[in-house]
Amino acid sequence: MKKITAMIIALVLALSLCCTAGAKTLTIGIAQFAEHPSLDNCRTGFIDGLAEAGYVEGDNVEYILQNAQADMGLTQQIAQQMAQECDLICAIATPMAQAAVNACLDNGKPVIYTAVSDPVAAMLADAEGKSALNTTGTCDLLPVEAQLKMIRAFLPEAKTIGILYTTSETNSESQLKLYKDLAPAYGFEIVEAGVSMGADVPLAMDNILPKVDCISNLTDNTVVSYLAVMIDKANTAGKPIFGSEIEQVKNGCLAAEGVEYISLGRQTGLMAAEVLNGAFAGEIAFWSSEGGDMTYNSEVASALGIAIPAEYADGIDVTK
Amino acid sequence: MNVLIGILEEGLIYSLLALGVLITYRVLDFPDLTVDSSFPLGAAVSAILTVNGMNPVLTLLVAMVAGGLAGLVTGIIHVKFKVRDLLSGIIVMTGLYSINLRIAGRANLPFFNMNTLMNNPFVKSFPAALQPWSKVIVVLVIVLIVKVLLDLFMNTKAGFLLRAVGDNKTVVTTLACDEGFVKIEGLVLANALVALAGAVMAQKNRVFDISMGTGSMVFGLAAVIIGTNIFKNRQKVNSSTAAIIGSIIYKACVALALSLGLVPQDLKLITAVLFLGILILGNGLKKKVKFHA
Repeated sequence: MKKITAMIIALVLALSLCCTAGAKTLTIGIAQFAEHPSLDNCRTGFIDGLAEAGYVEGDNVEYILQNAQADMGLTQQIAQQMAQECDLICAIATPMAQAAVNACLDNGKPVIYTAVSDPVAAMLADAEGKSALNTTGTCDLLPVEAQLKMIRAFLPEAKTIGILYTTSETNSESQLKLYKDLAPAYGFEIVEAGVSMGADVPLAMDNILPKVDCISNLTDNTVVSYLAVMIDKANTAGKPIFGSEIEQVKNGCLAAEGVEYISLGRQTGLMAAEVLNGAFAGEIAFWSSEGGDMTYNSEVASALGIAIPAEYADGIDVTK
Repeated sequence: MNVLIGILEEGLIYSLLALGVLITYRVLDFPDLTVDSSFPLGAAVSAILTVNGMNPVLTLLVAMVAGGLAGLVTGIIHVKFKVRDLLSGIIVMTGLYSINLRIAGRANLPFFNMNTLMNNPFVKSFPAALQPWSKVIVVLVIVLIVKVLLDLFMNTKAGFLLRAVGDNKTVVTTLACDEGFVKIEGLVLANALVALAGAVMAQKNRVFDISMGTGSMVFGLAAVIIGTNIFKNRQKVNSSTAAIIGSIIYKACVALALSLGLVPQDLKLITAVLFLGILILGNGLKKKVKFHA
């Protein structure tokens, strides 16, 4: 029994040692749900935004960075520890935001979220964009309308757009709904294929490609992780894929009207600074990105034999 | 202290899942993968009922019934249709994924503004000194009730039969009992406990998420093995206590790895190293005890 007691004491001691943080400077926790280029960009932008507002790392703030690697159990535990150790939590992506808000419900510490597509559906904000809880943030809802307009310009003859999404991602559900609502106005029909995990993506592509004229991506983390396979199959079929952000266009999508995550993160950082200056986060309405710059990949366009429409010629060509 | 509270909250809730895995894996010798889906099943049932205004405590019972049904299906597939144990679990796990989505209506169902199991007028009336511990207390009460009932059950005739199926099937047959029926019974019981764990977890997190079950089975196995390994030669500590403590130790390891503040990418590796350390330490204890004896 002695050894077991010693073991437990050692564990507790080790824990308490690690948790005694220094005073004076503010501790900001950045809790990221998964490893992902867009989410990483959010984090970089957030730190930049705070620095711009006078909260500089090593000067008057210190950061604790954690990444749950898409593990839901870990998400909760990270949120709980940060709720104790930090003065403010920046939660990146919806599951992390929900966990952080829940963990801070009792002590009322501010949670600033980012990369949440639908804060209202996630119960992070009410219909007016505010909240009774000490939370606010930025929303990365896709500029779907602009995307549809762009697809119409690229493919005047196209009738159907295929969309792959993961049935477990709430963000994807709301984005898909938006597509379905807006598509008829641009003369498109949406063909959807739901997958339950990344490994299903190749099969879903095989199934959907013959039925559609092109593919358009959501910001669906699981599907986007399999982008290489999708592009491979789409190229074989000679059909273009439209991305949902610049990184995807760099990787071989034809074009995108997407969210630019560094500036999204920067805006999040500015909001966090406002809260650190004394504002109640729930009073600040969440901020939606209005869409970044249009990007296209001229190499992909010439391989597919598609001309860049004149009105989009001033977009950013990622190959240059 | 706050970190300790977090560990106990998480560890105790997951210990309900560990008790379920203890029944299937340790007692029945049945690797039951249903767990990965019956955990979110309990959460989905509890979440949707809470959203629709049912008393959170009652939702736990309904969740247990739902979990029991999932176990029943796995059992019937295995016993009646003679499908291999692992495969019957996989079949039910796969099917339940869609059913869970149907039950909750969406992949992520939050209920931040509702009264929950750990956040209601009754819990709020605890003395101020106990408030930080309120969630731990609520979960501890549930875990103790479950543990005492489970221990009592294991000492009834039905409980003995359950253990016999895993240890020595001939005994069950010579007692003129149906081995298949006992197996189904064990699976129902185990998955009811796992669903209870999911329901309590949803109540604590105030959100149901379809992916919350991923890795449950692995977690349950680790908790049971860590627990039973540490207390292997201690007659006074029975296996259900060992599973509960194993679950808490598991969560403590993750918390320690988190607190070390290393690069996030290394987190899982650190956790794995901690587990290994504990298992080796447990083995060391065992040998010493034998030597003294």
